[in-house]
Amino acid sequence: MKSMKSNGWAFIMPAMVMIGLFMIYPILSSLWMSFQTGRGMNLSFGGFDNLLRLTEDPVFLQALLNTGTFLVVQVPIMIVLALLMATLLNNPDLKFRGLLRTAIFLPCVTSLVAYAILFKSMFALDGVVNQTLIGLYLIDQPIPWLSDPFWAKVLVIIGITWRWTGYNMIFYLAALQNIDRSIYEAARVDGVPPRAVFFRLTIPMLKPVILFTCVMSTIGTLQLFDEVVNLTEGGPGDATLTLSMYIYNLTFKFMPSFGYAATVSYVIVVLVAILSFIQFYVARDRK
Amino acid sequence: MRLNSLKSTGSLGAMLTAGALSLAAGTASAETMLTVWSWDPNFNGDSMQRAMARYQAEHPDVSLVVADFGKDALEQKLQSQLASGSNQGLPDIVLIEDYAAQRFLLTFPQAFEPVGEHVDLSGMAPYKVALATVDGTAYSMPFDSGVTGVFYHRADLEAAGFAQDDLVGITWDRFIEIGQSVEAVTGKDFLVQPFNRTDLLRLMLQSAGTWYTTPDGAVSLGADPRFRKVVEEYIKVMTSGIVQDAAGWTEYVGAFTSHDVSGVATGAWITAAIKANADQAGEWAVAPIPRIDGIEGAVHASNVGGSSWYVMAEGPNTEVALDFLNDVWAGDSDFYADILADKGAVGSLLAARHTAAYDAPDPFFADQKIWADFADWLGVVPEVNFGVFTFEAEAAFLAYVPDVIRGDAALDDALETYERRLTQAIR
Repeated sequence: MKSMKSNGWAFIMPAMVMIGLFMIYPILSSLWMSFQTGRGMNLSFGGFDNLLRLTEDPVFLQALLNTGTFLVVQVPIMIVLALLMATLLNNPDLKFRGLLRTAIFLPCVTSLVAYAILFKSMFALDGVVNQTLIGLYLIDQPIPWLSDPFWAKVLVIIGITWRWTGYNMIFYLAALQNIDRSIYEAARVDGVPPRAVFFRLTIPMLKPVILFTCVMSTIGTLQLFDEVVNLTEGGPGDATLTLSMYIYNLTFKFMPSFGYAATVSYVIVVLVAILSFIQFYVARDRK
Repeated sequence: MRLNSLKSTGSLGAMLTAGALSLAAGTASAETMLTVWSWDPNFNGDSMQRAMARYQAEHPDVSLVVADFGKDALEQKLQSQLASGSNQGLPDIVLIEDYAAQRFLLTFPQAFEPVGEHVDLSGMAPYKVALATVDGTAYSMPFDSGVTGVFYHRADLEAAGFAQDDLVGITWDRFIEIGQSVEAVTGKDFLVQPFNRTDLLRLMLQSAGTWYTTPDGAVSLGADPRFRKVVEEYIKVMTSGIVQDAAGWTEYVGAFTSHDVSGVATGAWITAAIKANADQAGEWAVAPIPRIDGIEGAVHASNVGGSSWYVMAEGPNTEVALDFLNDVWAGDSDFYADILADKGAVGSLLAARHTAAYDAPDPFFADQKIWADFADWLGVVPEVNFGVFTFEAEAAFLAYVPDVIRGDAALDDALETYERRLTQAIR
């Protein structure tokens, strides 16, 4: 019995060592680093200096605000859109369902960098989007998508919505197909109106998946990086600077402050934990 | 969407480089192969190759590999590699833009070989040597200078009734007037700048002998009255209607090469982009940059961009790299004449200006002797200590001052926030 137990440990040991070395050690090491201050490699223990610096750092607060804006505006839009599309595409009477599903999912297989660069050229001052809008007489001056603080935020939101809506839709489609058809038949027999079917039957039964996608999207948005780097470089000014991009700048672009950058990255960790907890709490099963 | 994907491409790059290097090590038993990291293969990379071709005449056993990156990618790769503390895969020679020089030298003090201790740099433009000097030791082999000029389509200036000489020896205020007169006739802005860059401000700051930070590392705004004066002049230029906002670097180059604007004020390295349009031969002219009125010592010469070669102290072939730089880069005037004529690279070797290439008239600029002009201006560019916080300062500047230019904020408020933020960032 005892030898069987140690055999078991021996089998999982390689994986444990790997996880310890490449995951747990870096996490602890970065936690330790977040308490160190100094320029470049000359680090020394600074206690809570980095946390104090956070509260006084206008760039950090701006990045936090930007990330929060993207989160609050973009995630609900995307979740609702994905849910609507999934419900529409789940209709068995719809023609070309497979084609439409593929078309909406397709953005997810494009590289983040590739689509961001494409968006950049499409939304240039004389790009195809402005030309189309002018051609349709919707606007008479081209919209400065990249150089205006407000429109740059709109552009990033359009970009990530385009890229990730199809991804979330697939989860909903899969979940919808797991719902027993007889439930809907029973509702029809009972004369439940379609609107109530959607809100009272479909949504509650999708709740675990909706929770999952909300948590994943929240984490993804808090880590938003590729799009802003390639679309706007965080600009104009700091209008689209995200927390991840600020961490990158602190480490690789500016005079490196590794300790402070680690502190900012732990802010993301704490935010993800808090937001996920809130989402689980809101979606808990009420007795 | 995740930082992870970035990390994985980074490590992929490192693996590829490591692979390339072990390959190189396999063949380098009989000869020495120098590895160079640089950006812009047609300009920097090719200049390096030409230098090596000259060196090989006496040292046939030495050869060269140039690894090409984007400038930002190179700086970031170097920074992460040095931060990791591993010497594996470091090149022998690396190109660093002058604005980042002090940041690298001070952050990683042991990483770079003190080139000045092995090579005589006395023939180089003094400001180029100074910007890579720490505690009296020079660490770089200066390469191309970003000596500035105003490049313009001469027909536009003449259409408004001005001659080339009208742009010589003037102040920015006079330049604005001329620019506005030209625009009234041609309908074109005179200059252009990408909205997310501050090249014109860099140009004006250095021409006045000041920078974002003082030599002892304080924020210039409070400590150096010239800084505020330059910013006021910059805002005057930006709000005068003679500078077009470009959406990015490509649009910026497109604006003056497709003649959407009359010209551009920047470093001499832009000549390569201008000359790429052979159909515009003879249409261009170069004027010295205007001077900022009211600042003592402000001159008609400045610097934008420019970079220097650095030898890695832990590189595989440090000795050979130093000898190579000493042999060709530190004293071969013919080499500089060669890259000037073919590449438009204004090197930093002052002796090279006495070669024939510098006195040759340039047909693209209607036989103006532009290289002789650049060489003269190079000698008077004010020395400026870029310090280590240029990128922080520009990020802060770009966050607040554009609002002033758009008319959405008052200058005093914007500069106050700028100063508070920068002070916070550099502590």
